Amino acid sequence: MEFLQQYGFLMATMLQQGLLGLSLYAPLMAGQLSLASPGFYALGGYIAAVILTNPAFAGWRDALGYGIYPLTWLLGAVVCGLLGVVVGVPALRLRGIYLALATIAFVEILRVLALNLSITGGAVGLFGIPQAFGFVDRWQYLWQFLPLLILTLLFFHQLSRSRTGRAFRAIREDELAADAMGVPPTRYKVLAFVIGAVLAGIVGSMSAPFLNTWNAKQGTFDASIAYLAFVLIGGSRSMWGPLLGGALLTALPEVLRGLADWRLVINGLVLVVASLYLPQGIVGSLGRKPKPPIRPSAPPRDEGPVGPPYTPETL
Amino acid sequence: MRRLSAVHTLNLLALNLLVVAGAQKIASPVPLGIAVAQTSNTALLGQEQVIGAKFAEQFINGRGGINGTPIKLVFQDTGGDEAGAINAFQTLISKDQVVGIVGPTLSQQAFSADPIADRAKVPVLGPSNTAKGIPQIGEFIARVSAPVAVVAPNAVRQALKIDPKIKKVAVLYAQNDAFSTSETGTFQQTVKDQGLTLATVQKFQTTDNDFTTQVTAVLGENVDLVIISGLANDGGNLTKQLRQLGYKGLIIGGNGMNTSNMFPVCQKFCDGVIIAQAYSPAQPSAANQVFVKAYTAQYKKPPPQFAAQAYTGVQVFVDALRVIDRKKKITEWTLPELRIELNRQILLGKYKTPLGDISFDKDGEVIQKDFYVAQIKMKDAKTGSFVYLK
Repeated sequence: MEFLQQYGFLMATMLQQGLLGLSLYAPLMAGQLSLASPGFYALGGYIAAVILTNPAFAGWRDALGYGIYPLTWLLGAVVCGLLGVVVGVPALRLRGIYLALATIAFVEILRVLALNLSITGGAVGLFGIPQAFGFVDRWQYLWQFLPLLILTLLFFHQLSRSRTGRAFRAIREDELAADAMGVPPTRYKVLAFVIGAVLAGIVGSMSAPFLNTWNAKQGTFDASIAYLAFVLIGGSRSMWGPLLGGALLTALPEVLRGLADWRLVINGLVLVVASLYLPQGIVGSLGRKPKPPIRPSAPPRDEGPVGPPYTPETL
Repeated sequence: MRRLSAVHTLNLLALNLLVVAGAQKIASPVPLGIAVAQTSNTALLGQEQVIGAKFAEQFINGRGGINGTPIKLVFQDTGGDEAGAINAFQTLISKDQVVGIVGPTLSQQAFSADPIADRAKVPVLGPSNTAKGIPQIGEFIARVSAPVAVVAPNAVRQALKIDPKIKKVAVLYAQNDAFSTSETGTFQQTVKDQGLTLATVQKFQTTDNDFTTQVTAVLGENVDLVIISGLANDGGNLTKQLRQLGYKGLIIGGNGMNTSNMFPVCQKFCDGVIIAQAYSPAQPSAANQVFVKAYTAQYKKPPPQFAAQAYTGVQVFVDALRVIDRKKKITEWTLPELRIELNRQILLGKYKTPLGDISFDKDGEVIQKDFYVAQIKMKDAKTGSFVYLK
């Protein structure tokens, strides 16, 4: 119990950050490097914080009781999903580093908007957010994040085996080839982007009561880089990678709290060593290595050509 | 259903915990928690708080601690974010078993972590949380840092005293900094209340380095007074660029610029800037003069505001513990009882601190009598001092 009291917040944060890592993993399944997750996370949190604290919504809160919390998740998901489509369609015309830059700009726009609007509380942000389902202790938020994580993992598992998942992989490996095979790249790229947006939005709306307060510092460029590190350190080719990376990199500084200032040094060392020696990420290096393809043995010489001779026409 | 049973088990376990903790008496030395930013960019402020608190521990224990029982400060780094503050508070409350907490550094962190301490019934004193609504978080939350609304207007009155012909005013603020945006509201209100014209309001970010747009807008309005709400680096650069581009009038800097960390940034251009202060080493009370003398002897410079406020936080805890100790020896108390009694005593007492005489209202808001205005005098490019105006 004392363990839960002390480390409950950390455990819930590990799941929360793991989920955010997964929200960056979703577009990456289709080969798209998007750093927009913190923007959607911040937006989802603001939606929850506004509904839970703004006097304009007092009627909703009284009428729905604890039902207001699932409603904030739903609204966070829907709004982020719609915005994901609006942003995704033009942004995903860009590729690689240009897409990453565009999504950083998106995060920055949302941050500056949040700083300047009065409904978001400006630079101070919103505070005094009521606790989800009357939770008292931080560890109780595991009841929120754990089911979401299990659902998300199940979803990703099913997705990767579905037609859509195969289309994502096809685009990731070669977009032109996929297009030629009849896989519409734009539609699937936007879909992958929206899945990430919806997930980040839900996590955000769950996190506003969890952190007690919400402000523009939640969705920043720093967060983008942190989530990217989760995916790179954990491994970008499996859904377990971002989850493990998020949980590990969140836990590390806290577990090493006893080392005072040295904890950040060790944290940095882990990042450097992991990216140098585990280029596939932790999960990537654990998995079975695919056997190197066996070089086909050269055909015996004296048999001569079997098929038509190799000429420019046959190629 | 799951929620209900979870709350149920929790209550049972919490009861168990109370029984277990109930058997435990307070250890000597008495542990007091300090949760401020020792890392991240907020550490610029947090480090001064660490120095102030460490100095308080050494100074107070050197004078007998709590009527003979020494105190021990337990430091937990909050970093600059909300999650870090919650982690630090959680560790101090459950693992380090502190009687109370001084912290966190930022108001936004306070909004996040203070509710945790309040629910655990652990008294908290905010050393530098100035946003509206902090003491109202809960009955266990108080602060020694005066809200911005009280500190800022003095500087405007002082500027008018220096130059009564001031008519047009430009106000600039860092829009991504919670403290600066609150402070600028107060400044703008004061300007209007004093019957001055608010010619322009310009925004910038604490991370900006180039202020050409803002400076051009200010110069275009031909103002007599510029008021800046920002932090050391951006405020310093803005001051420098205003002067370099030919602004001649008075400049007021907000409380965020009340630090000598600004001197290396604007160098000789810092000269003459009027600063609103919640603390001044020139404050004449005996409590402050003893503090300033001992601090200067050890660190070779007068104490900055954040160090003085952190020191005051520790001192208020110790003064309240001394009163409790006279009724019943501190080491005879159990932890949960002492935390509740300590919170009650903090709000009741009156304290002679380096900030002057302070006490608290029923919410835990600090009642501070003296505020200060200083003007920067630069000796050379790198060193300068705050000259106390009154």
